[in-house]
Amino acid sequence: MGSLFALTESMRTLGLLFTLLVVTPQAATDQKPSVPEGTIITSAQVTGFDIDRLSPGLREAIRNLAGTPLKKEQLDELAARLEAERPRYVAAVRTVMEPGGEARVFFVMGRQQDSERDDNVNKRYIVERADITGVPDAELTEALREDLKAVVGKRLDSGEADKLQESIERDLPRYDVSRRIEKGSEVGRIKLLYEARKKEPPPWLRFEPLRSNLLYHSEQGWGGFWDVNVGDRTIRFVPMFALANSEDSIEETSSVGLRFETRKLGTRRLGASFEWSWFDQDWRTQTLGALPLHSEIPVPYDTRTTVTPLLKFAITPDLSVAAGVSISELKALAPATESQMANAAVASIEFDHEWKEKSDATHRAVAGFGVRGGSRSLESDLAYTRYLGQGTYRFDLGRHHVQATGMAGGITGHAPLFERFALGDSLTLRGWDKYEITPVGGNRMIYSSLEYRYTGVSLFLDVGSVWDANTEKHVRVSTGFGFHGGPAFLTVGFPLNTDNLTAIVALGLRIPGVGARW
Amino acid sequence: MVGPRRVAAVLLTVLVLAAVPSSAQTLTVDTAGDAVRIRAQGFSFLTGDPLARLKDGRSVRVELAAMVLPAPGRSVVAATRRIFALSYDLWEERFAVTTVEKRSQSVSHLALAAAEAWCVDQVAIPVNALGGLGRDLPFWVRLEYRVLDTDPPADSKDSSYSLQGLIDALSRRRKTDSSTHALEAGPFSLPARRSSRLR
Repeated sequence: MGSLFALTESMRTLGLLFTLLVVTPQAATDQKPSVPEGTIITSAQVTGFDIDRLSPGLREAIRNLAGTPLKKEQLDELAARLEAERPRYVAAVRTVMEPGGEARVFFVMGRQQDSERDDNVNKRYIVERADITGVPDAELTEALREDLKAVVGKRLDSGEADKLQESIERDLPRYDVSRRIEKGSEVGRIKLLYEARKKEPPPWLRFEPLRSNLLYHSEQGWGGFWDVNVGDRTIRFVPMFALANSEDSIEETSSVGLRFETRKLGTRRLGASFEWSWFDQDWRTQTLGALPLHSEIPVPYDTRTTVTPLLKFAITPDLSVAAGVSISELKALAPATESQMANAAVASIEFDHEWKEKSDATHRAVAGFGVRGGSRSLESDLAYTRYLGQGTYRFDLGRHHVQATGMAGGITGHAPLFERFALGDSLTLRGWDKYEITPVGGNRMIYSSLEYRYTGVSLFLDVGSVWDANTEKHVRVSTGFGFHGGPAFLTVGFPLNTDNLTAIVALGLRIPGVGARW
Repeated sequence: MVGPRRVAAVLLTVLVLAAVPSSAQTLTVDTAGDAVRIRAQGFSFLTGDPLARLKDGRSVRVELAAMVLPAPGRSVVAATRRIFALSYDLWEERFAVTTVEKRSQSVSHLALAAAEAWCVDQVAIPVNALGGLGRDLPFWVRLEYRVLDTDPPADSKDSSYSLQGLIDALSRRRKTDSSTHALEAGPFSLPARRSSRLR
């Protein structure tokens, strides 16, 4: 009897799988009898089930199939993991040969119809009531009410209860729905209760990106920056520490700081941030040596204290503007010399949009333009205006990643050293050393970069120039390769238009964000 | 008069006694027939969210795996892996377990600890799969469980690293499912028909 049951069960599963394979969106005729082992997989997808509802580990395993040779055993193992994780579904593997000789993999999932597989011991109890709470009556459709009524008076069927939950979730997309069963009014009876909770709408404003890193640059040495996120999805505090940090600027600083951010001030369109930082400068000898030749550049300073309050406003979820002031006190290097103030009004506009294609390809475009204006009216000793525009486009498909970056900026007036542009570190113009090419930075900058990454290996081409308005522009080009694994990276860059072909190595950890939620 | 030292000693003893039973997890192995059976005293996988889900009348799937290793951290020599569907009878206030496979086995009317023990008892490893281990060489046992049917956390799309994520990334454990938990013990040997115990 047991074996007969097992046979019936097997036949049902086979039947369901056959149905799934026949009714897949792709025409069955485009599938050759079999895709040979070892064929490179271009993409792997799950159909019939939302991949985002799978565990992160399984999602990653499926997505990581792209770019690897096809192994039937591995695909079967993943299908088994899908079934184990979603036991009310059966999973089948479908491979499709592409004209270019590569393969696409589909994990086709379908819900089992067999109610006998209900393993909930409460299936023997009668549902005396089925309710949904947390939703105004007006939002419940007549069909949903009918579906709720339909399960009353019958024994609990977990499959039906799941289906009902899915149709509630479909009808009420702005709610999170959970389900529980309670004892009924008498023994043997139960209540089936669905609880709907309104989803919190996604925030429109983004927090400042976190950029903790520990870096080694073969020409610039070691440096590190740590910022830690402490907060929730609306507000956060970010303590910051740096040691010999020289990224993005001509300064080399050790610093401490604290930033407070909120991305909801009454409305999700309005946010604010307040940042305080104290920097202890350790100027490079190249910088100090070159400064006497540039009398138009304000003098270097010993320490810098900067306070930046900002208000932010989201025009759309992708487009936001920010405005505020940046107040900096620059303590002079020479004793008994008065400190200088570098106070500026700041304003910026940012665009950040990500979109997905059906093929699982992801695109992200980020662009921004910022202005900082130091003015006597803000009690600033230095009057200047600084413009910076930048944009990045990123394309991801399986293990292939392409990123194109462009930047351009200009400064007029007497800007302090921390505002001057610099290229030639572990992120920009890799292969060049900024302290060698522009030891005091420049007031004009243009830069572009193209990088292709396949899994953990990258190739890049960087082109850029930093110069002063009254000097000749010299465009520098570099190329190289890199290795990336999790937060760790190693890049080797070569300067191209120079007689001195010296490789520059940069390595370290770049961690997008470390934090704790409360 | 009771001196402060004595009070401190009593308090310390009470604290230690209170702490020890909750954290002690003991693995023992025993041969029954042609299989190595594992007993895992204090090994509980029905806690927190899965237990709350059960008490809400829903079923929970748990994958249990018993593995034999020649030494700690070495590759697995033999393993048995099974999936169990657990549910909680709302009226009888007892647990029921069914193995998720073609010829499923079921048991019901169990208390929580008994339901967990029954699951562990089902992941026996055939003695002949051990090869030379057990009789000639000692072996280690790893008991692993993973709660299935769990939806990913709401913020799983957040690209930032959590502290745990960072530790996982740096220790190359990133691909391990965060819901997998394990208990490992050894060395064990297999004297004929006798149990081997390690704490």
